[in-house]
Amino acid sequence: MKLTRRDFIKSNAVAAAASVAGVTLPVSQSLAADADDGIRWDKAACRYCGTGCSVLMGVKDGKVVASQGDPDAPVNKGLNCIKGYFLPKILYGEDRLTKPLLRKTNGKYDKNGKFEEVSWEEAFQTMADKWVAARKAKGPKGVGMFGSGQWTVWEGYAAQKLLKAGFRSNSLEPNARHCMASAVGAFMRAFGIDEPMGCYDDLEHADVFVLWGANMAEMHPILWSRLTDTRLTKPGCEVHVLSTFEHRCYELADNGMVFEPQTDLAILNYIANYIIQNKAYNKEFIDKHVNFTKTPTDIGYGLRANDPREKAAKNRNKGKLTKISFEEYAKSVEPYTLEYTSKLSKVPKDNLLRLAKAYADPNKKVASYWTMGFNQHTRGVWVNGLCYNVHLLMGKIAEPGNSPFSLTGQPSACGTAREVGTFTHRLPADLVTKKDAHCKFAEKTWKLPAGTIPRANGKTDGADQTDISGKPMGKTLIHAVAMHRALNDGKMNTFWVMCNNNMQAAANMNDESYPGWRNPNNFITVSDPYPTVSAQAADLILPTAMWIEKEGAYGNAERRTQFWREQVAAPGESKSDVWQVMEFSKYVKVEDVWPADLIAKKPEYAGKTLYDVLYANGTVDKFPTKQVTDSRGNKYDNHESAHFGFYVQKGLFEEYRLFNSAKGIPKKGHEMADFDTYHKVRGLRWPVIDGKETLWRFREGYDPHVAKGEGVKFYGKPDGKANIITAPYEPAAEPPDKEYDLWLCTGRVLEHWHSGSMTRRVPELYRAVPDAVVYMHPKDAKKRRLRNGALAKLTTRRGEIVCKVDTKGRNKCPEGLIFVPWFDAGRLVNKLTLDQTDPLSKETDYKKCGVKVTRA
Amino acid sequence: MSETERKNEINRRQFLGNMLKTACGVGLVGMGLGAYSKRASSLPADYIRPPGALPEEDFLGACIRCGLCVRDCPYDILFLGEVGDEVATGTPYFIARTGPCEMCEEIPCVVACPTNALDHDLKDIEDSRMGLAVLIDQESCIAFHGLRCEVCFNICPIRGRAISLDMQHNPRSGKHALFIPVVHSDACTGCGLCERACILEEAAIKVFPMHLAKGELGKHYRLGWKEKEKAGKALVTPDTEHRYNLPEGVRYDLQGEGLIIDGEAEETPFSSNPLDTLNSGFMDK
Amino acid sequence: MNICSLIVHTKPTQGPVVSERLQTFQGVEVHGGLEEDKLIVTVEDEGESMSPVSDTMNALRDVEGVVNTILIYHYGGEESMEEMNREIN
Repeated sequence: MKLTRRDFIKSNAVAAAASVAGVTLPVSQSLAADADDGIRWDKAACRYCGTGCSVLMGVKDGKVVASQGDPDAPVNKGLNCIKGYFLPKILYGEDRLTKPLLRKTNGKYDKNGKFEEVSWEEAFQTMADKWVAARKAKGPKGVGMFGSGQWTVWEGYAAQKLLKAGFRSNSLEPNARHCMASAVGAFMRAFGIDEPMGCYDDLEHADVFVLWGANMAEMHPILWSRLTDTRLTKPGCEVHVLSTFEHRCYELADNGMVFEPQTDLAILNYIANYIIQNKAYNKEFIDKHVNFTKTPTDIGYGLRANDPREKAAKNRNKGKLTKISFEEYAKSVEPYTLEYTSKLSKVPKDNLLRLAKAYADPNKKVASYWTMGFNQHTRGVWVNGLCYNVHLLMGKIAEPGNSPFSLTGQPSACGTAREVGTFTHRLPADLVTKKDAHCKFAEKTWKLPAGTIPRANGKTDGADQTDISGKPMGKTLIHAVAMHRALNDGKMNTFWVMCNNNMQAAANMNDESYPGWRNPNNFITVSDPYPTVSAQAADLILPTAMWIEKEGAYGNAERRTQFWREQVAAPGESKSDVWQVMEFSKYVKVEDVWPADLIAKKPEYAGKTLYDVLYANGTVDKFPTKQVTDSRGNKYDNHESAHFGFYVQKGLFEEYRLFNSAKGIPKKGHEMADFDTYHKVRGLRWPVIDGKETLWRFREGYDPHVAKGEGVKFYGKPDGKANIITAPYEPAAEPPDKEYDLWLCTGRVLEHWHSGSMTRRVPELYRAVPDAVVYMHPKDAKKRRLRNGALAKLTTRRGEIVCKVDTKGRNKCPEGLIFVPWFDAGRLVNKLTLDQTDPLSKETDYKKCGVKVTRA
Repeated sequence: MSETERKNEINRRQFLGNMLKTACGVGLVGMGLGAYSKRASSLPADYIRPPGALPEEDFLGACIRCGLCVRDCPYDILFLGEVGDEVATGTPYFIARTGPCEMCEEIPCVVACPTNALDHDLKDIEDSRMGLAVLIDQESCIAFHGLRCEVCFNICPIRGRAISLDMQHNPRSGKHALFIPVVHSDACTGCGLCERACILEEAAIKVFPMHLAKGELGKHYRLGWKEKEKAGKALVTPDTEHRYNLPEGVRYDLQGEGLIIDGEAEETPFSSNPLDTLNSGFMDK
Repeated sequence: MNICSLIVHTKPTQGPVVSERLQTFQGVEVHGGLEEDKLIVTVEDEGESMSPVSDTMNALRDVEGVVNTILIYHYGGEESMEEMNREIN
């Protein structure tokens, strides 16, 4: 039914009169209720965080006109957070990019030129010339791609093939490196297989919740809503919250603790010590299912090698585990007494004791949650592991309610970055480039000559792999932070950033990111729907179809894979990431990037483009284009299939499944259902075996990989046992000193997501939280002659920014620490941060560096 | 208020003015119109006086229409009533939805006031009572449906005291919580930051002048539990200890949860599976 | 334009006949209440092109069978007619 403003006012007027008169009107005369007519509803996974809420999107005349939480979705039951409420608006920012833009002067590419509209052909040809030249001149690390945990599954998979198989380069990283790498490192070290063993149902089954550096109230709003409900409705349920400042979760905390940055390491060791001293540990579980190990200490801070802190480190970047006995382990945590830990962490003894008792109580089910507080940590892998230690000591793991659970920040950090393995060292389904056999399996699956994929050490079957340059391949791994350094040093010359805003997101913008991108020798491509800070710093900008403007799939933090169909067309000439990756591959010939001896092994590839070899390979292009429909007969476009002439998404996904679900795969445990199934369901939690999803892994009855009678089996490890890994407290890289006398911690707010490139374009969200502020203790403010609302200058050894002081807001910092969110492109807090990483996971620590605050 | 909305407002007033001339003749003593003409004597509901403003009648007497408060407002949120406005000409007001009071610690508008129409005794902006925020539309407010919004709570400058979140079970979803914003008049200054921030197309939380916003309990009636809390003890003699006829394993907690049936005891101390017993150690028990 | 709604009380059982009389006025529509002798009526004008609402309402009083009219709702905006007739869904 059509409804004009006039009709609407009139119907209101009529209704008002009728109600006063007490007259009932015929239905057609009352308020036009059928205004929704003609809207096509379909499901999609929310665009934002790793919670993975499902939403229904209402489309009419090619535009998203309505949205709602999906009432049938198990995660969110029709609910959304404030960002989800405004999802349709992220598509319709007024400054969407619609044409490729290249920096030019006088009609030619110029690093210092102004952005001008170009055709896709010109964009890709310019890019291909640069990439091929850089690949030849600088080796496998001469080119690089920086993707995302916001990529759909097949976008990550297509990029994985382009870089590792096509360009024969392991320079592929996702922004999940800044986010999840420490969690991954700890999963692999402790369990030999990535991702949490539990699921969100733990939220209803636990008696005790412990948050370690996770502000779930703001960052995982719907999960927090579930946790809160359990706390409200379950007798005896308690919530412990630990962080370096008080945030929204403390409103619910029964035991809120603010600790000195970095001392979470000590607190976890204290808990382990308490459990051992009180003989509360589960001996039977330990004997059957756990190995004790230790990790090298004094490992540095992931800074450049010439940094004095790196030179001083005894075991820089080392992480090889050595077996120890239970007694040796017990001894290693003995120094962490209540007394010592309380003094070091500044957490009162009573609080620590209460926390330790909760873990040690055999009758309480404990779920631990963490996000960036643990992961963005120069000892991130350690601290993740220390939490597993506590759960493993008690056997409180892999069953309903007993769950150490690493939450993710991005919608597909798990589904794409981790499961597809778009990291420098990974291949799909937990395979790694370090292992010759894994690479060989990938080469076979991808129909490539043996030795195509660069090994981590550049050797296959003990011999050097040859490079296009004719030289040996050499070492090939390069992680995210190292990429920016390599750009800065001119060792990497082309860089393609997709589906993220790394200029704003990466640490130490002033010394590393910006000079790296603007290095005259480098050619930077940014694919984005909006003119972000990254786009501003690029040389070529590719306008990108976002989210539901393409068929997609995300995998959330509880291993749930969710699909959606293309709902609306992207504006102008915008194209999806998968289109961009595949189309670009047509501009590069095998001869441009592969040496002759490799081509000789598959002579039929001679003269072919990378597109022919990687995507038109008989597997990916197996499924013909067909009209996409749903069970109600609605029709959907698929621009990628229309362009390439086959069902692109299905072909990529089904080839990907050869890594995780086919017979004879190297690593079991990641099984997925087929492509068509996912379009029919509200997501499935892998491993999916015989159509059934898995809620809790490693536990008999719940996990089909655990045989009858085994009880618990950590089958990621050859002996089926998990590792308890002891690690000590070690100080942070840049604690406050006399001049830079405060800790700087960065993070997010509920209303904005990541760099704000989407949410800051929603007027209501922008109005709710327009700019980043610096949260600080009123006393710290007063000492600096600052008051609430005043402008402060924040200075670190690397840069300065100015923002407003907030001493009363949602985050209450202790004296000595300030918190600044990073969503605000107008106040780039990563000018201040230090590019320190966990030496093992290579994940950046954004939570700790020294800062000075003065009046602006 | 946008320019068009303002014009509409005037247009409507002119229209109703014209109507009044003929109203009696037509017999138009309609409810809407009646309410309208009565309201004209007081402030419109969305016009809020600056901090420290005296009660409306006193304020109108004291305010000399100098406009100094408007001049000194660093955020330029204050307007002066104009001829034809429903507010006394030349007197200051702000409209929360478009320009709320930013709660300056120095309260420059009060300092500027030459006559004490804005009370100079107001030293702490948190003591001001410009109006009162009211979560007026609980049907539209998405928090009541369980969505995680809380923008009003988050933006509130009197953190946690003027607006708190009442966490409740969400019976519809069965496993989520509701985070219901609740305004507390003992702390709310009526600054209107919440009304501006409300993400709905029409705000669900609005600031109204105190007399419109606030109900009042009958003067005779006290809330028993609050009086007890104030007194720190029972106002009359505490109850004597009660004793009950109860079967074994059952207690009665008079002030607490009433009848308590102690944990249903298992029928035997053994698991139904003999292996559990056989495999459990007995030495260290 | 202006849009008003009114309740028009009619003499007993004259609802239907009064309704017909009212609808002869430009901009007037009757939406219901014929049985109850309380007509739910809207009156609209479009600025210049139709007689002003106030005149119409004035005239309704004189219609035979009308006992009383009560104004319930008034909307007065300066949007163009184009704006008012724009679809909003």
